[in-house]
Amino acid sequence: MNDGPLIVQSDKTLLLEIDHERASDCRKAIAPFAELERSPEHIHTYRLTPLGLWNARAAGHDAEQVVDTLLEFSRYAVPHSLLVDVAETMARYGRLRLEKHPVHGLTLASTDRPVLEEVLRAKKIAGMLGARLDEDTVVVHGSERGNLKQALLKLGWPAEDFAGYVDGESHPIELDETEWHLRDYQRQAAESFWHGGSGVVVLPCGAGKTLVGAAAMAHAKATTLILVTNTVSARQWKDELIRRTSLSEDEIGEYSGAMKEVKPVTIATYQVLTLRRKGVYPHLELLDAKDWGLIVYDEVHLLPAPIFRMTADLQARRRIGLTATLIREDGREGDVFSLIGPKRYDAPWKDIEAQGWIAPADCVEVRVTLPSAERLLYATAEPDERYRLAACTHHKVQVVRDLVAQHPGQPTLVIGQYLEQLDELAAALDAPVIKGETPVKERQRLFEAFRTGEVGLLVVSKVANFSIDLPSAEIAIQVSGSFGSRQEEAQRLGRLLRPKSDGKSAHFYTIVSRDTVDAEFAQNRQRFLAEQGYAYRIVDAEDLPA
Amino acid sequence: MQLVNGAPGPVGAAVEHLQDLALVWQATGGLRALTGVGEAMVGGPGAGVSGLRSFSSEPASVGDLTRRLGELSAAARAMLQHVDQAGGEATAGSARTTVSPQQAATPAEELISRRLLVPRGGGQVVLPGEVAVELRGGHTTRDAMDDVPVLATSERSRPVVDHAAAGAAFEAVRRVELLLDHWGDDPPTVLRSGGLGVRDLKAAAALVQADEPTAALLVETAWGAGLLATTADLHGNPTWVPTDAFDAWTELAPARRWVALARTWWESQRVPSAVGSRDSAGKTWNALVPELHNPWVTESRRLTLAALGELPDGEVLAAGTGLPSMVARVSWQRPRRPRLRAEQVAWATLEASVLGLTGLGGLASYAALLVAGDQDRAADALATLLPEPIDHVLLQADLTAVAPGPLETGLARRLQLIADVESRGGATVYRFTPASVRRGLDTGWTAVELHGFLAGVSRTPVPQPLTYLVDDTARTFGTVRVGHAESFVRADDEAALTELMHHPRAAGLGLRRLAPTVLISSTPLDLLLPRLRDLGAAPAVEAEDGTLRVLRPESRRARTPRARRVGAVRAARQSVRVSQVVTAVRAGDRVAATDPSPSAPLTATGSLSALREALETGTSVLISYVDNQGTSSERIVDPISVEGGTLVARDHRTDAERSFAVHRISGVRAL
Repeated sequence: MNDGPLIVQSDKTLLLEIDHERASDCRKAIAPFAELERSPEHIHTYRLTPLGLWNARAAGHDAEQVVDTLLEFSRYAVPHSLLVDVAETMARYGRLRLEKHPVHGLTLASTDRPVLEEVLRAKKIAGMLGARLDEDTVVVHGSERGNLKQALLKLGWPAEDFAGYVDGESHPIELDETEWHLRDYQRQAAESFWHGGSGVVVLPCGAGKTLVGAAAMAHAKATTLILVTNTVSARQWKDELIRRTSLSEDEIGEYSGAMKEVKPVTIATYQVLTLRRKGVYPHLELLDAKDWGLIVYDEVHLLPAPIFRMTADLQARRRIGLTATLIREDGREGDVFSLIGPKRYDAPWKDIEAQGWIAPADCVEVRVTLPSAERLLYATAEPDERYRLAACTHHKVQVVRDLVAQHPGQPTLVIGQYLEQLDELAAALDAPVIKGETPVKERQRLFEAFRTGEVGLLVVSKVANFSIDLPSAEIAIQVSGSFGSRQEEAQRLGRLLRPKSDGKSAHFYTIVSRDTVDAEFAQNRQRFLAEQGYAYRIVDAEDLPA
Repeated sequence: MQLVNGAPGPVGAAVEHLQDLALVWQATGGLRALTGVGEAMVGGPGAGVSGLRSFSSEPASVGDLTRRLGELSAAARAMLQHVDQAGGEATAGSARTTVSPQQAATPAEELISRRLLVPRGGGQVVLPGEVAVELRGGHTTRDAMDDVPVLATSERSRPVVDHAAAGAAFEAVRRVELLLDHWGDDPPTVLRSGGLGVRDLKAAAALVQADEPTAALLVETAWGAGLLATTADLHGNPTWVPTDAFDAWTELAPARRWVALARTWWESQRVPSAVGSRDSAGKTWNALVPELHNPWVTESRRLTLAALGELPDGEVLAAGTGLPSMVARVSWQRPRRPRLRAEQVAWATLEASVLGLTGLGGLASYAALLVAGDQDRAADALATLLPEPIDHVLLQADLTAVAPGPLETGLARRLQLIADVESRGGATVYRFTPASVRRGLDTGWTAVELHGFLAGVSRTPVPQPLTYLVDDTARTFGTVRVGHAESFVRADDEAALTELMHHPRAAGLGLRRLAPTVLISSTPLDLLLPRLRDLGAAPAVEAEDGTLRVLRPESRRARTPRARRVGAVRAARQSVRVSQVVTAVRAGDRVAATDPSPSAPLTATGSLSALREALETGTSVLISYVDNQGTSSERIVDPISVEGGTLVARDHRTDAERSFAVHRISGVRAL
């Protein structure tokens, strides 16, 4: 019997025993093709998915390697059918190639005629193709490059894109590494993206994705369009680029609700691009405003559906996606794969944490018991009102106060979903509050004050979920959330994970009402945390030191 | 002897062997086969195993044949070779059969004129045996007969093969156990044909996470091993359930269990791989139907595994090309066996790999022992390759427990009670949820026992969230309780209830106090009420909505019987009858009053136009009509409509509307 650290299950999950002496070798070997699903303390679960295997194929691994790796590290015999399945799935990638023909433009070519025949007969694809050049080649309408890739992926025959990219209008961009240095993994991420052409880089919050973007821009040396989630994050990108690259303020434009500048490097928000008036997207022309050489998608897992459609038309330009997770709550991972590109770099959170780039976190769930009057109210409430009632119990305010008192002098964020509750908390704690209606100027002022230490306690709504760099936050207390979204949990925890100057660990508190839907939703979130390897504790509010 | 394409040595030996068996004998003209052998060896209609036709009665000399063949055009030669390969028989088509070589215009005529193809009745031509032998280079077969087809192999070391095969063996045993365990709780019904339904097979495949052929193989093998049988369920419908032999089987060590399954397969004549395909009548084969067997499969399995067993150490059947070469080998060994041979060899290869007799295309060493009949040593050899059962799990903060190997059966059963299985295989992943912990509490575990059990089986400290989950579930467990009562007694006066409870004669009422002011009783209300009155209480009965129900003794009354006036209905019926008869008689009179001479038979169009005319003019007509029973009648009718081959008309005889099929109307006469 082999004594490997890996157990291959017939349902295509891989269990990795991390206390095993060969565990880290094994992790390195399987990371390219298996997706890490959960990483609790003893056994990590990876999953083999077609997308994962195709990602590996795109990165140059072949089925033989995958099978050998599984056989080498597996403790027990690997189910034969699984090996066959791996080989068959991987062989599907690259049978079809998108190529550039000197005369006919974009073509779809195949090394395997039956496959080509099969896809040619698919109804969805017929409209995207033109004349058949020879038995193995068919012309593709230039505008359908993205749609075709999407459709082929759905058919299970993902095409490899060799049609290349336009260089775009060149523009000098250099990293300015006088005061700092690109970390190794950031450099690797940018390089593997550049060699791959287009694709997604997966790094945890706080691991410096902005810098990977900047490094990619320095590779491209061309005009760049950066798409981000909101205005605050757009400003942060701008500041960071000015600080870390040779770009000056004049070269960077902001294209948002407030300003409409188009400059060699333009940062636009998803919101303004997807703004719709009378059925048309008036700001879409931004995509054609310049001959962009690179498009950066920040937080790919949040990419809204209209952007996907637009991206389908931008297949000739280099695209880099940055994200903390490939998991999309809407399940459109396949669209990310076919439209932005395969995963080019991935590092597990815990590894980066171990390298000291992100802060360790101590997660605690505090359970409060609803007073019987409120329980009665809750019990008789309409189902759609229940979560709000449970989440907004007045009881939580006292607990928040106790927790804040426990960590005097440490920068603290209180995060919530419901505005009345936030207002109530702000009043009780005598702290400023940031909500959707807070003007951008005011938000920036408060964030800045928090960063400098002037303000030690902030109450924020979900506007703070994304891309706001608050490296000094040490304590986060969440009082309500959007129904147990795993993604939100990752983002909120991410707020805390920026490295602390003194290496202290961060504290992440979640306050939930016992025996209500609040606790049920909290379970989803806990599971996510535990699966990410953050051990958490559950305590009763009564047991908190007063 | 040189007719046989092979080295003289082996051919001579074979001939001697045949002589020893007395199947051929030395006659004056050379060797002769025993009468009947030739017929028995027939491969196709009129041809031998090699597709060779019989020789002409006076075969031409070899030299002559060579000359005739030499004269042929390229097209004719190609045609001749094609005919040889296609079984030595062809259709002549439009070729003339009486031409000389000089007159021949087509390749077919060229061949026929040179007597290389001999015309037979019905436009057929055959290739004489001697010509075919000449075409095949002077031998009965083109390929050498003593060339044993070589198996296509690739390299795999023996330990790797054994390891892979043992994995499959373990998986097969695990799946059979899982499936039969499940069927013990939720058995599938037996089809009327005796098999297992397609849906049930699909469900089984989903349960064991395998494809349907694998599930069919496992089900068939379990059945063959006596682990599965039919019995009637509560409603009397036959169902497939595990037998008591299954319980004995699960007690065995995994290796012994495997031997039981593998042995069954090895000896069985069942054809599990045919499940899902269609028989000659186009009906899909179900698993477990009695007819699903074939006596040849056992031999195919034996030959296939024997060929694998003969491979040198370190070589296995190659992945892609191996199977065709195996088919060629087995067909060479048994040239006369049925057409299904290729299929059966493929099935045998697949089934053996699923059951773990082979791994990565090689015969496992323990399977070789089994095949040789040494079951005990096979089990021992396999046991060293199987993972040892383990007695611990790893508990994690995400509320999962991972057993990094097969758990001891008892432990696995207990763990399954308090956690849900999330993933199976070499390892098992369990997940704790509030519902699963509650299930444990339902079956009588206490929180303390649960904590003790978890701490006992875990190699690692029990994570705090799991401890909390158990406590939290135990806290809410049983907060709401339900029970059975026939009636309740309620009073605002607590003392009154206490008095009732303690009354010496109330013992038989089954009273229990739920709250200071509520008692329940196991006695039904109608008994309880008089008994309570006997005890001196004055109870009032509460209705379902909580209001007081006043009971008043009711004296009984019967319904007054009504005198039935019997004659009225009969009188009414009779008067209707009489008027009907009168109507019919009058109608008959009118028919008779009209010209009694029978109307000339009308054609269909004739009767139609007559009816239409009557319809337009609104007059009555006399029709001759043949009813369903073939009785012909004449009636006077007033047509109302003629549509779609049906005449709707008022019949004077019954004075009612009815419809007549136009094609049954044999005559129409206007009145």
